[in-house]
Amino acid sequence: MKNWQRLKQDPQFRQQLLLREQVIDATRTFFKARQYHEVETPLLVSAPGAEPYLNLFTSKLELPDESSKNAYLLTSPEYAMKKLLAANMGSIFQICKSFRNRESLGGTHNPEFTILEFYKVETNYLELMTEFEGLLRSINGAITGQETSLTYQGKSYDLSQPFVRLTVAEAFAKYLHLTADELLDVKALSHKAMELGYATQEIATLPPDLAWEELYNQLFLNEIETKIAAFDQPVIIFDYPAPQAALARKKTSDPRFAERFEVYLGGMELGNAFGELLDATEQQARLEADLVLRQQLGKPEQPIDYDFIAALQSGMPECSGMAVGMDRLIMLWADATEIDEVLFFPASQMF
Amino acid sequence: MSMIKAGNIKKGSYILYKEQPHYVLKTQFVSPGKGSAFTRVKMRDMRSGANLEFNFKSHDSVDELDVETKEMQFLYHDGSDIVFMDPRTYEQMNVGRHILDDKALMLTSDIKVYLTIWNERVIGVVLPPKVRMTVTDAQDAIAGDRQTAGKKPVTMESGLIVQAPLFIKTGDTLLIDTETAEYVSRVND
Repeated sequence: MKNWQRLKQDPQFRQQLLLREQVIDATRTFFKARQYHEVETPLLVSAPGAEPYLNLFTSKLELPDESSKNAYLLTSPEYAMKKLLAANMGSIFQICKSFRNRESLGGTHNPEFTILEFYKVETNYLELMTEFEGLLRSINGAITGQETSLTYQGKSYDLSQPFVRLTVAEAFAKYLHLTADELLDVKALSHKAMELGYATQEIATLPPDLAWEELYNQLFLNEIETKIAAFDQPVIIFDYPAPQAALARKKTSDPRFAERFEVYLGGMELGNAFGELLDATEQQARLEADLVLRQQLGKPEQPIDYDFIAALQSGMPECSGMAVGMDRLIMLWADATEIDEVLFFPASQMF
Repeated sequence: MSMIKAGNIKKGSYILYKEQPHYVLKTQFVSPGKGSAFTRVKMRDMRSGANLEFNFKSHDSVDELDVETKEMQFLYHDGSDIVFMDPRTYEQMNVGRHILDDKALMLTSDIKVYLTIWNERVIGVVLPPKVRMTVTDAQDAIAGDRQTAGKKPVTMESGLIVQAPLFIKTGDTLLIDTETAEYVSRVND
């Protein structure tokens, strides 16, 4: 049965789908009360994100003279919003659709999903953690009438205290007994993965930086992400290894790590944030490096958004920004484990 | 046995993981944000019956098992084993109860099932979607129990307890869904 058909028969499902409206309303209320401006940037763009591992929806913009230009559905509104930050819009937020191709239909993914992206000026990434804690409490208050706890899948999560904070290095030390130096070393990671019985033969054939990234991701997903699900509070993982943060600034105290954090609840990733990189030259170098990696991976070439680089050159204020999967947030209050349970028209029922 | 990419692992198939056969319960795409995609596989270790989860890189090669299925008839429970018989050859076969897990309570006399066999070893049992079972104990519903309004627990011949409508009596034959272990309907013979 399709969701619209179920909606017609099942009054409880109707309440569940209407949570979307409540979560979005509460989100808007939260940001407007904090003097953020709501903005709207294009979904159809000429230069999408350069993230080498994301797959794009590509299209053509046709002009009246029958010429055409490549056009893409955006993977996140980040570049456009940063141009607005450079234009001194102040703190801004947006709730819009984003698109990622070749992802599964269902589970915690839908190829077309709703993203909340917000940027706060004159704010560092540690302060932004507190802002997100406030957002979660505030939505919880609007829906359940209290801001202290959230029940998801039969488990109560305490929202009244600051969320659990673990750096990536602390997490690797706690769950894998690896030091920060070992975490950044491809040999040490490879040794650990072998010890745990992972298939590492193919990784050995990769260039060291790619091999490191694969091992890091697999160890993180299997040995850390599963364990942080056990906390009865949301968990913030922060200070990611620098290669894991293309748009974040490096930590001044330890440039091997970057100002990035992610928030998890019950093992589900809710959002990703950066202390935003302001240096145009470094940003351009990183985007160009990503483009090279895209070619190595055999992905179609795509243009760099030089307008974004120009915006950074013109000066962007100090700020931190976060992208949140709105559908996943809605899943929390709908007590759903499948994204299809909170979408009016899941892609799995259309394609 | 054939090698497939982890991204192509299908729900309901059998794979070799850490040299043991595993039944795939669920697969999910996982994108770590930065870095290549993973396939999160929820699977059951067919030897221990334990469920586990592992994130394979989508490009990893995984052994998909070519399993054989054989129609067999349930005979009886024997300690930690369940004994089945091939209805054509009368050959008997013992299967560890843990392989059926909760489904062992769905077995009724002479029920035909499909055994999943790999390397001459039974690694799984497929039941028909619905089975007929006799009610061995149906008490009158306790008045005022609003939690289970309209339903009461009844015990079936296999020991399975299901929530059934209030009109069900001892000796009735019910149709039970083997996937959910829930009451479907009463059978009027």
